[in-house]
Amino acid sequence: MESYDRRGFLIRIWRWAGGLVAAAGAWTTWDVLRANGAGAGARVRTVAPDEVPSVGVLEVREMKGYLTRQDGEVVALWWKCPHLGCKVPWCDSSGQFECPCHGSVFNRIGEYRRGPAPRGMDSYAVAVENGELVVDTGEVTLGDPPGNETLDEPTTGPECLGSEGG
Amino acid sequence: MSDDEPTIIGNKRVLGIVPSRPPVGERKDPRADDQVMVWPHLLVRHAVVAVAVLLVVLVLAVLFDAPLREIANPTVTPNPEKAPWYFAALQELLANFHPVVAGVLVPGGIVLGLLALPYIDRNPATAPSRRKVAVATFTFFLVAWIALTIVGFAFRGPSWSWVWPWQEWYGEL
Amino acid sequence: MSMSSKLRQTTIGRSIWRTPDAVTERDRAAKHWASFLLHIYPVKVRRDELSFRYSWFLGVISLVLFASLFVSGVYLMFFYVPSPATAYGDIENLQTEVAFGQFIRNVHRWSAHLMVLAVAAHMSRVFYRGAYKPPREFNWVIGVILLVMTLLMSFTGYLLPWDQLAYWAITVGSSMAAFVPWAGDQAQQTLLAGDSVGSATLVRFYVLHVFVLPGTMVMLVMFHLWRWRKDSMLSHPEGGDHE
Repeated sequence: MESYDRRGFLIRIWRWAGGLVAAAGAWTTWDVLRANGAGAGARVRTVAPDEVPSVGVLEVREMKGYLTRQDGEVVALWWKCPHLGCKVPWCDSSGQFECPCHGSVFNRIGEYRRGPAPRGMDSYAVAVENGELVVDTGEVTLGDPPGNETLDEPTTGPECLGSEGG
Repeated sequence: MSDDEPTIIGNKRVLGIVPSRPPVGERKDPRADDQVMVWPHLLVRHAVVAVAVLLVVLVLAVLFDAPLREIANPTVTPNPEKAPWYFAALQELLANFHPVVAGVLVPGGIVLGLLALPYIDRNPATAPSRRKVAVATFTFFLVAWIALTIVGFAFRGPSWSWVWPWQEWYGEL
Repeated sequence: MSMSSKLRQTTIGRSIWRTPDAVTERDRAAKHWASFLLHIYPVKVRRDELSFRYSWFLGVISLVLFASLFVSGVYLMFFYVPSPATAYGDIENLQTEVAFGQFIRNVHRWSAHLMVLAVAAHMSRVFYRGAYKPPREFNWVIGVILLVMTLLMSFTGYLLPWDQLAYWAITVGSSMAAFVPWAGDQAQQTLLAGDSVGSATLVRFYVLHVFVLPGTMVMLVMFHLWRWRKDSMLSHPEGGDHE
């Protein structure tokens, strides 16, 4: 053990005490300010399974998303754009999702078509309970990265976007 | 002057000769590194600048009202959704590059680069002609940023599509 | 003897101003030295600092705009409650019911825009003059931090009216934080106090906007000015070869 005089010892004590106070303050601040996750992850009861369309989508505000079908299976999409969080509206005339913020476009089941989004739309877990679809908004599956679409559904008409989005 | 032979002028011994330098106010050719009193010379200029700035703010505030749109609605994203002008360059980058690049690496890199600038650029010269690399680099980034700001601010419309500002105006302050 | 000089000669007057009337330059220097309000200034500066082309007075302009924002902001605080239920109505009320309410809000808004412009221009001017070179490196660093804080002030203030402009600009802006490597989601959720912009976000941004950021900025500005004052008499590293 290295030896030091009384002054060195006291200086060292002060430094450690200061560091300890700083660390405690930083940890407290972080713990106070970090999100506690309240409000997220609610299980939302929605509609009966046979009310979910396979042409077009059904908007459900309580789950902040849309219900639709892929090969008969129900898909619950989160309406938040994976780019920068704008709400992605459904465009009836073209039959796809078109984000007004930066022009990202997704097909009916949320797969990436074009635009600056890094992936397809995120989706929730769905279960059927007592004849009702229950959507777990706490269990989010990230969308697939850009690639081949599994849904063979070309646009049905003009897009809602003003002109060619970036 | 030698130490052993004192110089005598007019019956007086001369101890030293100081170059004549009249007080600052009387000299005909003021120099950049003269020292002048802050009060009143600098203070009066600062006061004039302050009044001018406040006048500009006053005129702007009388002529143009600050915008206020409809109340916030989480279920409807307005189209176009535009950031205030000072973030327009960032938004323009975000529409063209992956968010990690445009939203994190570029702004982070610019801030870190600015912070480190005086420690990277150790060239002591201050004249622009003798620090061409630094001036060129800074100017490049400045011009690029201003260009992106103008494009994002005035040339982008619904869904971030290209519009000519003289046809439709979507700029947001 | 003028009225103000008489006032200064009284017992109370002398206790406040402490120094007699300034007649000579030496008197003025003594007075400057003793003055609280003037102590952020050096007593003397180099002559070239007086000219417009030296700095375009952009630092002073930024400071005046900051003061304008401070004063108008205090007025606005009297009429604003940071809650989604009241915020928007408070702004409407301010604009229609409060005397000069719309005007004060306009002053705050335009001062904010001009300040971003002035601070950015100040930085560019300092760069082109080479005024960040030793021994002024650290004051440049403080200046860059102040620029970032000016932008953060604008960003946090943008949410407060709680209109569509505010809500979606903050949604998009804060979503960028989610792309920070490793801690992206945590960073965004801490910024927003939740998964999306809500009442907790509004309170958080309000506290940052009216207390944390301006308080920090005032301290940094004082430090910035103090260092400018200390360095103001130094000639340029190469003896002012700029022109």
